[in-house]
Amino acid sequence: MLFHAEPGPASLTDTNVTVNSTPAKHVFYRFFRRVPMPVISILVGLAVGLAVWGVLDRIQGQAIKKIADKELQTQLDRQARESLIRFDQYLKNYVTTVRLLANHRSLAEYLEPRFWLPQKAPKPIVYRESPPSWLNDFIKRNALSVHSHILLVDTRGHIREVYQSGNMELPQALNQGVGEKLMDAGKVRTVVTRLDGWPYLLVSDVAEDMDGYRMGNLVMVVPINDTFLAASQRGLSSVHAAVALVDVDEQQILASIDPELLSPGTRLSEWRDLYLITTRPLPEYGGTDWNLLFATFIPHHSVKKMSSRVRNFERQQRVRAAFAYILVFTLVIYLVSARLNKVLKRMVGFSRRALGIEHPGFKRGANQLVLLDEWSQHFAQLVLKAREEMSRKHAIEMRASEALKAAIMEASLDSIVTLNRKGEIIDLNPTAERTLALTRDQAIGGSFSKLFLAADGRRHFLGLLKDSRRARREGRISQARGQLTARRADGSEFPVELSIVPIQLNDRSFYTIYMHDITNRKEAEQEIKSLARFAGESPNPILRVNPSGLVVYANTAGAPLLAAWGTQEGDLLPAEQTEEVGKALEGEHSIERETTIGNQIYSLLFTPIRELGYVNIYGRDITAVRHAEQEARRHQADLVHVCRLSTMGEVATGMAHELNQPLAAIVNFANGCSRRLQSNLGQRQALVDAMGQIATQAQRAGEIIRRLRALVGKQPPIRSEVDLNHLVREVHSFVEFDAGKMDCTIELDLEPGGISVDVDLVQIEQVLLNLVRNALDALQEVPPTARHLVVRTRSVGDAAEVVVQDSGPGIEPERMQSLFEPFFTTKVSGMGMGLPISQTILQDHGGSIRAESVPHGGAVFLIRLPVAPTVQPSLAAVG
Amino acid sequence: MNSEPTRTVFVVDDDQAMRSSLKWLIESIGMQVKTYGSADEFLNSYFPGRAGCLLLDVRMPGMSGLELQAHLARDDSRLPIIIITGHGDVSMAVKAMKSGAVDFIEKPFHDEDLLTSIRNALEFDEKQRVLQSQRAEIALRLATLTPREHEVMDMVTDGRANKEIATVLGVSAKTVEAHRARVMDKMRARSLAQLVRMVLVAGGNLQSP
Repeated sequence: MLFHAEPGPASLTDTNVTVNSTPAKHVFYRFFRRVPMPVISILVGLAVGLAVWGVLDRIQGQAIKKIADKELQTQLDRQARESLIRFDQYLKNYVTTVRLLANHRSLAEYLEPRFWLPQKAPKPIVYRESPPSWLNDFIKRNALSVHSHILLVDTRGHIREVYQSGNMELPQALNQGVGEKLMDAGKVRTVVTRLDGWPYLLVSDVAEDMDGYRMGNLVMVVPINDTFLAASQRGLSSVHAAVALVDVDEQQILASIDPELLSPGTRLSEWRDLYLITTRPLPEYGGTDWNLLFATFIPHHSVKKMSSRVRNFERQQRVRAAFAYILVFTLVIYLVSARLNKVLKRMVGFSRRALGIEHPGFKRGANQLVLLDEWSQHFAQLVLKAREEMSRKHAIEMRASEALKAAIMEASLDSIVTLNRKGEIIDLNPTAERTLALTRDQAIGGSFSKLFLAADGRRHFLGLLKDSRRARREGRISQARGQLTARRADGSEFPVELSIVPIQLNDRSFYTIYMHDITNRKEAEQEIKSLARFAGESPNPILRVNPSGLVVYANTAGAPLLAAWGTQEGDLLPAEQTEEVGKALEGEHSIERETTIGNQIYSLLFTPIRELGYVNIYGRDITAVRHAEQEARRHQADLVHVCRLSTMGEVATGMAHELNQPLAAIVNFANGCSRRLQSNLGQRQALVDAMGQIATQAQRAGEIIRRLRALVGKQPPIRSEVDLNHLVREVHSFVEFDAGKMDCTIELDLEPGGISVDVDLVQIEQVLLNLVRNALDALQEVPPTARHLVVRTRSVGDAAEVVVQDSGPGIEPERMQSLFEPFFTTKVSGMGMGLPISQTILQDHGGSIRAESVPHGGAVFLIRLPVAPTVQPSLAAVG
Repeated sequence: MNSEPTRTVFVVDDDQAMRSSLKWLIESIGMQVKTYGSADEFLNSYFPGRAGCLLLDVRMPGMSGLELQAHLARDDSRLPIIIITGHGDVSMAVKAMKSGAVDFIEKPFHDEDLLTSIRNALEFDEKQRVLQSQRAEIALRLATLTPREHEVMDMVTDGRANKEIATVLGVSAKTVEAHRARVMDKMRARSLAQLVRMVLVAGGNLQSP
């Protein structure tokens, strides 16, 4: 009972504790839970049985082995002794036989007439087929069943006669005679010795004649071989136990009972695996100087068979014991579990009735022990939980109300201070601490009115306290409100709004004071007031107008504007402005307009304020801005002019050269004429022709001068509609002479029918002149035959294009970037302003300029200008 | 002045009016004038050795005046060149002068300046021609000398005495005397001074004999 009751709970507790720690244990536990108690009891019984089996196997097995071994050893010893005794007996038989033969009458009779002359090595008489007469009859029947010899030996040891039974020849060692040892005159000698390497038994006895004269000895020589041994062990199977003679020194088998099993000449050690070998020394035989052992060989398998038989018996015994254990344990545990089951059911029934707790895992067929354990734990937990639940609920309620109160206190933006009846502070919230710049410890216990109120407000405060009390008594809303000046710990003062609530608790009065810092509100009020002054102080005119054009508000700076419009605050705006106001209200964005009043230029921004139905008009004096813009434009024009002059200087130089030609010709013709006339040489007609030449050249000079004037004459920047082709042709005429001198022809590829553009022709001419001159400069760098310049005009959509393309070296890619930057030049004499000014001019005209370097050399400049919109019809009208 | 008619003033100018007016002016002093519109046109009709001078406009399309000048110098022409420049082309004129032009005049010019310049150029051309023919004749005479005679002549004109020459050449003074006589004879020199002058002219070290 105690034995199996203990491991149950112990193992359960164990599994419960570690149930979650390892999955293996968890699985085991779940399994354990499912198995019903009877099964468990069987399992436990089995386990115990197996344990018993296992333990007994260890202990009993060893003990039995020891006993069996001992028994075996004894038996082996006995067997060995017995076989040795048999062997000995067998030897003794021979001795007896020899004695009998030696003392037999037939021998004595035979020897009577004999006399053996002493000689060195007499030739012995050998009997083979039939025994000699000196041998008794029984020898033939019994004694000589083995191949043995019987010798008659004279006193000197020489062999005189030999009887050979069987085929074996007498050992060679005996040819010289029998050794001295055998020749004892007194008694029978038995010697086991080695002859020709094999063991032999020699038995000798004195042979006498009838007169008792000692003739010599009768010696029997028997080989100790298998036949001998088999004969000695008569009746014993060599399979169960073989015997052999062993040479101690060499540990070699000399002869065995069965040469096929144990061949002679082999070593004893070779057989230890197969046989259990017991050796015993041979009993002392007279004259033996040879150390021999008598060995008994018992095969291992027969030994094993014996021991296994013993073990089987022992195992049967053990099984029986184990069965007995299993039976007893199973029964006991089953009875216990049945009892437990009953207890469990009773307890569950009780808990269900008493506490309303149902065991969640209780099922039929589960392990009652585990269930009981789990249930009891669960039960305890449920009871504990119920208790905890109650206390926690209570604590939460307490904390919630506490937290709510604290949150209200802490989160409140207002200072909250609680006073006792005497007006001393008993509590205050963090806001109050912050606002009044006083720590909690400093504040508690102090008089509120003295600590926190400015001196002049204290009376008022006491009045408020009284009011609140009275209000409460009279059942009205029990609070009093008022504005006071509070004072911080550092003495600074600020306005506050107070609300006092009296509280009556257990016959004690308290006041809760809510105090709101109204500094920000006061400041905001002031801010709004000052913001309102913004518009009034603005140096720019600001007006507010309603949709009907009535001036609702006008600041001081707006007065001149109103005066100029002939109106004033409260009156209507002129119709023009009223219309803009209407537009501003309809649209989404502000409208900006410009107006000139006297010398002043104003920008007016009409900003709708739709939600109020007003339009704010922000005026701005932009006279200075406009003037600056005009100034800038004039500067630009001047710069263009300077650039033009610079270009013109260069172009004019070329023209001056050109002018030289007709002038020089005229001088030459004139001088030629005068010389001829002086020397009275010239033909009249020739002179007339020369005069004609003079006139022609003078006209040519005049033409050049006209072009020069066209170039130089400064015109104010005026836009007019001109034909772009005309401009190109004129520019061409400026540079024609220079180009000709360079052996370069300028190809004009012009849009047929002309392109009308609305431009400042001087400026555009300037641009074209720049480009053409740049091209000519570039062409200087290539040989005259490669100089080619094309000026092309095209009308592309609503844009006019001029392309100036040369076959010069082109523009290096790294220069492309900075081409239109001011003061960028590759020329020695250039200003670097040509292209930037061209760009400015074109931008002014809403056009563009762009440069390219064509792959096979040369640069291309492309100008785009908008085509004059009204030109086509006007041209048509002219045409 | 008997050779004057064979002399020609070549005018190269791209301006037609300029060409005809120059022709008109120069012909008024009775000189022969040939005009060409471009350098190529001139080169096509010109052969070296023609007497006269060249009036060249420095700025022209195609081959410029300077290029023509360089071309003629390469052809070993000794035709004197007068450069006509426009106003401000002084740098070009200087370049032309450095390349061997005899004069330059700026347009527009006084007729007298031009004509004087032309006359000077023609005179210079005449001198050059004489010197040229002398050189050619002396060269012919020098060619008849044996190497040993040439050696002796070089030493003689170097101002060495006969004995000195004999020592240097390892011959007798008499042999030197004989060589010297043959040299004088072959060179048709009447005096040592004349021989020295001839050698100088032939070497191009003297402008005129």
